[in-house]
Amino acid sequence: MFTKKQPWQKRDTGLTARMIISFAVLTIIYIIFLSVLAYVGVSAIAIAVIAGIMILAQWYFSDKIVLWSTGAKVVSREQFPELHDLIERIVARNNLSKPRVAVINTRIPNAFATGKTPRSSIVAVTTGLMDQLDAEELEGVIAHELAHIKNRDVLVLTLASLFSMMAWYLMRFGMFGGMYGGQGRRGNEGSGAMLLILLVAIITWIVSFLIIRAISRYREYVADRDGALITGKPSKLASALLKISGTMKRIPTRDLREVEGMNAFFIIPAISGDALTSLFSTHPPVAQRVKKLMEMEAAMS
Amino acid sequence: MFSLSSAYVTLEVKLGLKVTGRCALTFKTVSGTFFYQMEQDIRQFLGNLQPEFNLIWRTSTDSYGYMWIVFEGKRIEDLLAGLTTVGDIVEERGFSDQLLAAVFEFSSEREEGRRKLQYLIYNYKRNKFYPFVPTAEKAIDAEQQMKMMATIAEEIPFERDMTLWYPLWDLPLRSLG
Repeated sequence: MFTKKQPWQKRDTGLTARMIISFAVLTIIYIIFLSVLAYVGVSAIAIAVIAGIMILAQWYFSDKIVLWSTGAKVVSREQFPELHDLIERIVARNNLSKPRVAVINTRIPNAFATGKTPRSSIVAVTTGLMDQLDAEELEGVIAHELAHIKNRDVLVLTLASLFSMMAWYLMRFGMFGGMYGGQGRRGNEGSGAMLLILLVAIITWIVSFLIIRAISRYREYVADRDGALITGKPSKLASALLKISGTMKRIPTRDLREVEGMNAFFIIPAISGDALTSLFSTHPPVAQRVKKLMEMEAAMS
Repeated sequence: MFSLSSAYVTLEVKLGLKVTGRCALTFKTVSGTFFYQMEQDIRQFLGNLQPEFNLIWRTSTDSYGYMWIVFEGKRIEDLLAGLTTVGDIVEERGFSDQLLAAVFEFSSEREEGRRKLQYLIYNYKRNKFYPFVPTAEKAIDAEQQMKMMATIAEEIPFERDMTLWYPLWDLPLRSLG
């Protein structure tokens, strides 16, 4: 399942735990089910088709899964009138369908959108987000999420993972199917080939994983841009991003003349895992997103 | 540091930040003859600025024991030339370790009422620029600093590690005129 959410600095362990559990459960179900099928001797094509169906089912139930794993509760207009108003204003001006509105009760600022189709989607925000951002910043974040819905990013990413998963299973079980074949294992002559196949399968999976991450990052930029076009205020989304990512809190307040004596600060470069984390990340770095938004702001004025 | 001579245009165009014409260089003082001689060299240079550099200047020492040389001039090229020449003198005399920072002042004209002053600090030990926007209450305007970074980080050697954006409080950049 895929959600489009903003990154945050502190860990929300409850949320993380639930997302890990749900993801792990799904993965285990797939593996067990499909392994059983392979063992029993179902053909590779059939397995791929079944895997596809399972992913589609996952997609179909995605919003319920996401709501459960994030603890988001759909809220009515009576419960959060200003939030509903804000969303309605954006939606009305831009010819979008109004999504269901959900709220997560946590101090950590975050937001995401999910949904099968633009007409049956959900935008969720945390109470922390509503507290920490001003009205225009919140508007920017919501517009970003609505852009994800409009661009059907959940579908795009699900499809991307669908194809990669089908390819992977085809590769793995298609070859294995020949080995298991209902007749039992063939013995040593197969094991070298099996290893090779496993290696290829792993590489395929890693490559498609990285590709999906790259697609996800690209869609984030697109959602930033489209969201900014919706509100006409890119710098407000930029400042929301800075607040959400807690980036600004790391700037020191001690005078440079006080710390100058500590040469260690200046000689040893800060070890940053930036290059590596950016490959695995679903979101581009905040500084890059802010930069592009500021460029938009400059182009608009 | 000379990359600033084009980057300041970007700051003006994209953020409405204008160079105020004030900048400064600061280095840590030590006692001793050699340092004193270097100071004399600098004073001699400063005394002979006109007419080649159209700058006025002032020196002061702060409570941390740092000497400040403050320049004011109309053209950024003059300011940069003045700063780098003083920096060169310090280095030639073997005191490059004492060089701490150079500071460039900008003002924002978008604020109604009081002009807001923003700074670019050049850290000699890292050879990089970083932004500094103090607010009235001896705090920093982080959002504005991030905006400055977003605008010119590609044009000048920029300090990407925000944990090294140390402020310089109580800058002695009051108007010299």
